[in-house]
Amino acid sequence: MWGGTTTASVTEYLRGLGSGRRPDLPGTTNGTLRLDVREVGSTEHWYLTVVDQHVEVTRSDDDADLVVRADRRVLDRIAAGRIHPATALMRNELTVRGDFRLFMLLRRIFPGPPDARHPREAARGEDAHR
Amino acid sequence: MKQEWVYVLAGNAFAISDAQGDMEPDPQVPVGLFSFDTRFLSRWVLTVDGERLKALSRDDMSHFDTRFFLVPGTASHYVDADVSVIRHRSLDDSFTERLTVLNHSAQPAELVVRMEIGNDFADISEISQPRRRDIAIDVDRARRELRLCYRRERFGRDVVVSSTAPAEIDRNGMTFRIRVEPNGQWETRLYVTMVGLGEHGHDMRADLTTYQQHVRVRMRDELRDWLDRAPRLVAEDDFLTTLYRDSLGDLAALRYEPLSSTVPVPVGGLPWAMTLVGRDAMISCLQTLPFTPELAPPTLRLLALLQGGRLDDEHDEEPGKILAALRYGEAAAFGEQPGALYYGAADTTPLFVILLDEYERWSGDAELVRQLRHPARMALDWIDEYGDLTGDGYLRYLCRDPRNGTVNQCWKDSPGAIVHRDGREAGLPRATCELQGYAYDAKRRGARLAREFWDDPAYADQLEHQAAQLRQRFNRDFWLPQRGHYALALEPDGTPVETLTSNIGHLLWSGIVDDDRAAAVADHLVGPELFSGWGVRTLAAGQRPYNPLGSHVGAVWPSDNSLIVAGLRRYGREEQAARIAAGVLDVARTIGGSVPEVIAGYPRQLTTFPVQLPAAGRPQAWSSAALLMMLATLLGLEPCGENLLVDPALPPGSGRMELLDIPGRWGLADAYGRDRGPRERSSRRRLH
Repeated sequence: MWGGTTTASVTEYLRGLGSGRRPDLPGTTNGTLRLDVREVGSTEHWYLTVVDQHVEVTRSDDDADLVVRADRRVLDRIAAGRIHPATALMRNELTVRGDFRLFMLLRRIFPGPPDARHPREAARGEDAHR
Repeated sequence: MKQEWVYVLAGNAFAISDAQGDMEPDPQVPVGLFSFDTRFLSRWVLTVDGERLKALSRDDMSHFDTRFFLVPGTASHYVDADVSVIRHRSLDDSFTERLTVLNHSAQPAELVVRMEIGNDFADISEISQPRRRDIAIDVDRARRELRLCYRRERFGRDVVVSSTAPAEIDRNGMTFRIRVEPNGQWETRLYVTMVGLGEHGHDMRADLTTYQQHVRVRMRDELRDWLDRAPRLVAEDDFLTTLYRDSLGDLAALRYEPLSSTVPVPVGGLPWAMTLVGRDAMISCLQTLPFTPELAPPTLRLLALLQGGRLDDEHDEEPGKILAALRYGEAAAFGEQPGALYYGAADTTPLFVILLDEYERWSGDAELVRQLRHPARMALDWIDEYGDLTGDGYLRYLCRDPRNGTVNQCWKDSPGAIVHRDGREAGLPRATCELQGYAYDAKRRGARLAREFWDDPAYADQLEHQAAQLRQRFNRDFWLPQRGHYALALEPDGTPVETLTSNIGHLLWSGIVDDDRAAAVADHLVGPELFSGWGVRTLAAGQRPYNPLGSHVGAVWPSDNSLIVAGLRRYGREEQAARIAAGVLDVARTIGGSVPEVIAGYPRQLTTFPVQLPAAGRPQAWSSAALLMMLATLLGLEPCGENLLVDPALPPGSGRMELLDIPGRWGLADAYGRDRGPRERSSRRRLH
């Protein structure tokens, strides 16, 4: 996992998440999310406040509209785009409590797979095959 | 003899059994109890004194409950009428079967009643050959419970069967040794609770009695209210009235509440698509706007919530793209089929904008259009940024996950559906013609929304300009002058795929066809190659790939036909529209029951009876909704400013038809029509 890949831990990812405007987020979905990062013997709490296309990240264990819990290993993979949050949920590697709609927002806050292609790039690849 | 299958359904759960109520795995049909794409019962067989039962009759009380009236003895035996059994099955969040054994004789009856119980936890996608799974079985005699559990890493599914009457429970079922007094009866209720581990802790036993009944009562009330809210059809043709009501009932049944919505949205249909399928859901909403407009807002909101936000090859996801389908089963969770959120569809994104605009035209719900501005803008941006794959201005598709993804990301999504007249596969990425029609329509409608609701006239101008260019380009590049119709698709280098298909009818629906070509297109649609007598074939006869049994290369789809009929009327082709609509109505009339998803493309004069395809699902939301759309199209219902315009053009012989209390921005309005034949049709228009 070391070397040239873009693997980051969930902690690094959330710390690095700027507070600038996120034009890709809908302006009408606002709410608070808490991420509980489970480790052996301890849990790290991250608190995300989403308002008007801005995401503010703090450390707090306050109650939130949606609480997401998973092992650090799983959340690290999500932060690296290695597993889709919905897939983790379906495998029961991650659990949620509260307003499920915010889970769909969380999905957009984390990145996609690092090796994903723009469809045009894939189309050029198809062309090269022919 | 063809096996008869009986179903009950509720939300995205369903149970399919044979005519006796028994369930045993079948490689072709998902027999058993299913929920969230997972089988929870694969074996459910009732015997009395070791003998199977025979069905005397059945009462399908609603889509969620059925009663089987049974007697011991198979068909080859003389019926022993001393004992009979009533099997009353109902489904809501859990599955309940009330067994009543009646003794009709003057002697007490000592009987051994047994229910064989088993499950394989198969995913709906692997019914033909379920994988072998290790299943843990737990017999809890104290609680009268049989529990079957399946685990894979942290993923888990349990099914728990319990009985109200004392039972001897073993690993394969429950046995009841009972004594029934003369003219007496014995009863037990078997509760089957389905547990998806990690889903908000299904507390099974607490749920069982009060809550479940509460749910069932609520379901009955909701069904009644749903039917009451819809417009009332009064037709000289009694069959139409029945068909209309049945279709409304199907649409009520084919709704569920996904985890992220508290309001029901349409599922695709039974048995393969008991989940949100973006295309089917949006087409169903479009088809039913004059009848049940309440389906559209939750569907639009949910699809906006699930809109693509990033690039992801495995999910064919891009920012702004609208979902193809949600899946909940093990296969989706572990990457053995497209993921839980799959975006492999090129038509869903323009359809989202089309539905939003059309919904506003009917309802006047400006608030929703304002709320969904962001997702609608992202959808419109997607068309050019991610949908135009070769830079030639056409919307195309290319699956980025060849292992599990869908190759043909249009409504004709089977692997060999987009082919040349000689059967060669069209080159990828493919630009099918109807996608261009949808993109054109979406841009025009997006322009209206931008101008009237988003206060963005510059953007509106830009979209209109793009739409005009697209239309011009399309009519130049897709038109085949020698053949007098549009090509099915363009290959990446612009080579047309000249196959004659039903897709040309969608072009009329979208309005991208130049007026002077509409007559030629209409003639093809009712010509002998495309029109079977029952409807328009997906692919015209007389071409190499044609196969009357091929879903997308010859068979006839009522949903496809409903859009074609609307397109024909849009271009003033009343006669052709009425002919095709009459054919599809005859399919429903001849087969009876729910409108099938698809029938074979054989010529009507050859078979005289519509031949159903084995893989066809029934009921299907967009098939039941197709019937509604055809009625609205024949009556010529169209919002016009704040009014409902009515301009009937009914097929000859259909008599008088009234649709009362049509909801919309005008409040409630009525429509009247009578068959006059297209030439006699008066120009009288009724404005409300």
